[in-house]
Amino acid sequence: MKGNWNRIVGIDLGSGKTHDISLPEAVWRDLIGGSGVGAWLFMQHTAPKTDPLAPENPLMILAGPIVGTTLAGSSRFAVCARSPLTGIWGEGTCGGNFGPMLKSCGVDGLYITGRAASPVYLFVEDGKVSIRDAADLWGKDTYETGDMLAKRHDEKRARVICIGPAGENLIKYANINNDKGDVIGRTGMGAVMGSKKVKAVVVLGTQKVQVADQAAYDAIRKDVLEKIKNSVPADSLHSMGTDASMDLGMMTGDIPIRNWSVGEDFDLSAALGGPTMTEKFLVKPAACLYCTIACKRVMKVADGPFAMEEGPGPEYETCCSLGTGLHNKNAESVLKANELANKLGMDTITLGSTLAFAMDCFEKGIINEKDTGGVRLRFGEVDGVFKMMEMIARRDGFGDVLAEGSRAAAARIGKGASDLAVHVKGLELPYHDPHGWHGMGLAYMMSTRGACHLQHLVHPIEQGMVFWDGVGLKENYDGQKSEGKGVLVRIAEDLGVPCNAMVLCNFVAWTLYPPDFPAILKAVTGFDYDIQSYLGCGARIWLLKRGLSNLMGVTSRDDVLPPKILAPYKEGAAAGSVPDQDVLRKEYYKARGIEADGKPSKAALDAAGGLDEMAKRLYG
Amino acid sequence: MSIPFPSEEWIKAYKDAINTNPAYKTAGADWTHGVVALVAKAKPPALPQDVGIWLDLAKGVCYDAKLVTVEEAAKAPFCITGEYDRWKQVIRKELDPIKGMMQGKLKLKGDLPTIVRAVKASQELVNSAGMVDTAFMDE
Ligand code: SF4
Repeated sequence: MKGNWNRIVGIDLGSGKTHDISLPEAVWRDLIGGSGVGAWLFMQHTAPKTDPLAPENPLMILAGPIVGTTLAGSSRFAVCARSPLTGIWGEGTCGGNFGPMLKSCGVDGLYITGRAASPVYLFVEDGKVSIRDAADLWGKDTYETGDMLAKRHDEKRARVICIGPAGENLIKYANINNDKGDVIGRTGMGAVMGSKKVKAVVVLGTQKVQVADQAAYDAIRKDVLEKIKNSVPADSLHSMGTDASMDLGMMTGDIPIRNWSVGEDFDLSAALGGPTMTEKFLVKPAACLYCTIACKRVMKVADGPFAMEEGPGPEYETCCSLGTGLHNKNAESVLKANELANKLGMDTITLGSTLAFAMDCFEKGIINEKDTGGVRLRFGEVDGVFKMMEMIARRDGFGDVLAEGSRAAAARIGKGASDLAVHVKGLELPYHDPHGWHGMGLAYMMSTRGACHLQHLVHPIEQGMVFWDGVGLKENYDGQKSEGKGVLVRIAEDLGVPCNAMVLCNFVAWTLYPPDFPAILKAVTGFDYDIQSYLGCGARIWLLKRGLSNLMGVTSRDDVLPPKILAPYKEGAAAGSVPDQDVLRKEYYKARGIEADGKPSKAALDAAGGLDEMAKRLYG
Repeated sequence: MSIPFPSEEWIKAYKDAINTNPAYKTAGADWTHGVVALVAKAKPPALPQDVGIWLDLAKGVCYDAKLVTVEEAAKAPFCITGEYDRWKQVIRKELDPIKGMMQGKLKLKGDLPTIVRAVKASQELVNSAGMVDTAFMDE
């Protein structure tokens, strides 16, 4: 096997000891790497109902086989653990520059358990791990921490991931930051890191990842660059960033507004959409290592109350979460709030959604200024947003309630607040609206980590950004129809889950064709993948993670959309349209092989192969 | 009577359809970025050679519409090229032109942010084409 080193370093923070973990080759072949391998490790070593913030919950920082090669879109890595936000399987992936350097250390990842007695950071140099004192870093924001550690170790080459005050204070949606603008955002992996008292991980390596078939790899690498060059979505991402999709999204009913209450507001997209943000604030595009799409934004707000130094600008999701979702048309404030969230170390999707939920409660009189400690939380007003962000990160007053995420906050507030919290299984919905796109609604219902837009390729397929024949997909999908989406979502997951495991950027994946994915994996690892075995890996990994979440308590009752999504809008392209969640669930269960209780059927587990252990856990 | 696509007569009818479409007038009110050219690739015998359609658009009005050569069309600040059958799908609203561009079925030359900003106007341009009683000569 090439691509992977077959070496994961286990680190016990309690004893300070490290050990090497190697896995059977079949695990790498069948589960690829990244979160696929993470799920397998979790199953082997951890009781499913382990408290997410307990020392026993492993924090797994994992690359995939293609990471460390020079393929565009390959500079990613995953972080997995049981999520403190949702209580089920948690994971996130992130671009930037950390993943390739992790692989250059001659390791595929780190498996961190225990809890340090006082704040530490991990320094990984060419495979040797040392645990170092982080007393001087604790309390610092992510930008300062990253800069300090890079300077301390090797300013040019050292790569750092770290948590901010939110992670230290165990905010349930604390993220992990790499290089200021790239984050492991979702499911609160930063809180797990904080619970272990690990402030940061620094990697510095010199080893080169070997590929199995250099000639095939070189040809694919060239082909990928060519496809990116000819792709309109890639061009659009390059010129306007991920926020390119806001203007179009407003046309198609894809943009959530005012805590998912309003179907259309073109003033919002005119103020916050890609063309405007580019014109007003772009300094230059930026890229993850080796990527020619360069969808990242370096932006600046020259002056005014939200003046911002040159730095990472918001992605589409954040333009929605801190913009449209809060009915906030002030673009400068979105940039500044994004920067603050990055520095404090909070996932902007859950943060924005939780703030929108709180504003909704405030405007409906469910909470008032007495509850919030005098902070006015009103749609379209930004003062309260900044105040509350600081309060959340420090668990100060009402910030402590919102620090738990919208589901838990709603439970604490009561008075019908749960109807205003927009989440699936405790993970707040990303900003693609199921009113306009029922398939995306189903993807949120069924994603193994709660509402997720990234572990599958539903978005480009349903919205027609790609057309991939030969894998059972139709050429055109009507976004506002629920029928037929079960099969779409299953295929989109089976295509996307392995991308996530290897770890390939979704946007690069959009420019390719399905047979390219197994071809990449085959050239790098030497395993004999074809499209069928590739899709089989997708199904296997999905079933494994679903099984873990079942063992953590998920049943069919959790595969539901929140009330806001089931209430129609009066205006906009999706006016009157709501996903039919019964049709969606029924179709999907059939297509995936899920029993009525929400567990994967024994037959589905057997057919996937390699899941005997999970079958035993679920069925005895 | 149905008018053959993309004849001089069709283009004239298309111009009229654009100018009598109130939704285009509103959506295109901010368009000050010049000519949009559409190129249909040859499909003999229905369309013996590649042709261009020149649309001089400003502030919600189509001031001129004419048949041009591909070379002339390429000089427009925005030029969208597609196979004859793709345009047929677009006119019949079987293919969303933005999706078509994303999937590479229609090729765009021109500033993408400008097109994205004008997405509503683009849609109304296409809706206007759907208002022309069109005959496709390969049918
Ligand atoms: S498309 Fe964007 S996120 Fe993906 S690898 Fe390239 S720069 Fe990174």
